[in-house]
Amino acid sequence: MNLSGETKLFLGVIIGTIAIIVLAAVIMSKPTPPAPAYTRNQLIPIGANTKGNASASAFLVEFSDFQCPSCKAFSSVVESLTEKYKDKLFFAYRHFPLDQHPFSRTAAAAAEAAGKQGKFFEAGTYFFANQTNFSDEFFAKAASVLALDATLYEKDRNSNDTKKKIDDDRFFSDTARLPGTPTFFLNGKQLILYDSSELVKAVDEAVK
Amino acid sequence: MKEKFLNDQMTNRILFILSLLGVAIALYVTQSFLRKTPIVCLNSGCELVRKNPASYIAGIPVPAFGLIGYTLLVLLTFLRTTSTKLHKTLLPWIAGITGGGVLFVSWFTYTEAFVIGGFCTWCVISAGNMITMFSLSLYSHSHKK
Repeated sequence: MNLSGETKLFLGVIIGTIAIIVLAAVIMSKPTPPAPAYTRNQLIPIGANTKGNASASAFLVEFSDFQCPSCKAFSSVVESLTEKYKDKLFFAYRHFPLDQHPFSRTAAAAAEAAGKQGKFFEAGTYFFANQTNFSDEFFAKAASVLALDATLYEKDRNSNDTKKKIDDDRFFSDTARLPGTPTFFLNGKQLILYDSSELVKAVDEAVK
Repeated sequence: MKEKFLNDQMTNRILFILSLLGVAIALYVTQSFLRKTPIVCLNSGCELVRKNPASYIAGIPVPAFGLIGYTLLVLLTFLRTTSTKLHKTLLPWIAGITGGGVLFVSWFTYTEAFVIGGFCTWCVISAGNMITMFSLSLYSHSHKK
């Protein structure tokens, strides 16, 4: 078979590309060890923001970022699940502020400050609903929108305790090598979710 | 006589390389969709797109369609090098497939913006790639001897 130089060049590139793809497939198909299961105390440390029934056997933990669009997409599902199963499920929200989101730490600190006044989840709902409006001014005004004590709110959102709590959550997220936001743990096991309907399905099963 | 900015051979080489780039991107994103693994992304849009039902057509991930299209384009650009006849006859096919590809990426970009509410970096790169390929194939077609 008489191939032209151009055909040989293209063939060479195709073969090279296939070789790279096969190599990548081999590397990526190596079985990854199953994600470790965590205890309730590891996932829900003292001081974590929680809701639902603390005595329930089923517990759901979300690692989330208030500036993450996927987290916003999941937030309404989480809210309806925690409302539906408020007697059968214990839910905890933990921070995984991603570096690429400039306001994720500011939002987390603001939510923590609201949490000190018993409004963590109200703040979370408000922040997710206004994710595209984030600015320093937005968080400064959040105290009046959420009917918080503004002086206390300002003090708490800038406190070292708040910063440490967010840092601790982020440290856990990094050491547990969480794949992204949101990441959910149900009864200690990390969920691999296709979409939010799978979260509903998993929780429905767990609370039966 | 009008001077050509790119000759036929060079245009086909660029189309070939861009098709391979498209295959690489589509393959990476498709495997992430199928294996449900996070996509390395410049923003968090890739995960938002991956987890949204609008990114699946009849249960098939959208990037799988890109993979099929780009693979076809690799084959066609390769076959064009094998004979002068194929070099000429396959160009309208390439223009047709990339034209269809532009319509497809336009629809998906619209879906990302108004249904999903987030952009996957790789999808945006692939959309730009497809538009470039379509423009190149039109350019080559309009300058053919």
